[in-house]
Amino acid sequence: MSVDSVPANREFAKQLGVTFPILSDFKRTVVKDYGVFNEEQGFGNRATFLIDKEGIIRHIDEGNVAIDPTTVIDACNVLQHKKTATP
Amino acid sequence: MYKKLLTSVALLGVLSVVALAQQPTPPHTNLKVGDKAPDFTLRATDGKTYKLSDFKGQKNVVLAIYVLAFTGG
Repeated sequence: MSVDSVPANREFAKQLGVTFPILSDFKRTVVKDYGVFNEEQGFGNRATFLIDKEGIIRHIDEGNVAIDPTTVIDACNVLQHKKTATP
Repeated sequence: MYKKLLTSVALLGVLSVVALAQQPTPPHTNLKVGDKAPDFTLRATDGKTYKLSDFKGQKNVVLAIYVLAFTGG
């Protein structure tokens, strides 16, 4: 997700060869709700949130740490494991 | 000539430090692990609209926010 318009993100996705849909927060409401809106620049700062099935945040990566998806992938695996561990 | 070059390099260094210092500190989220994720409804590149709460009880969701398109991620 980014604050770019849908057409801009569509072009960006095409360039990258991304197959999954990218969300557009053009009105900046979500970046504000998630506390990552950079008022000076007008965009959302880089961040990754892992939200479980109950809508609870289970992991947060912010800034440059969020470039590397390893930690959030690990957190996903932990969540998945929890799911399978519970009968 | 050599001295001039050295001065220029030193000046550039000082300017870089000043520029770095003037960068506003990026805001940090007020959300914490364990908090309820704020719901959202957003349009996507596939033309569909996605609502976070539609995934409740169905799937875990990774919300990855990147700075701007065409900027290398």
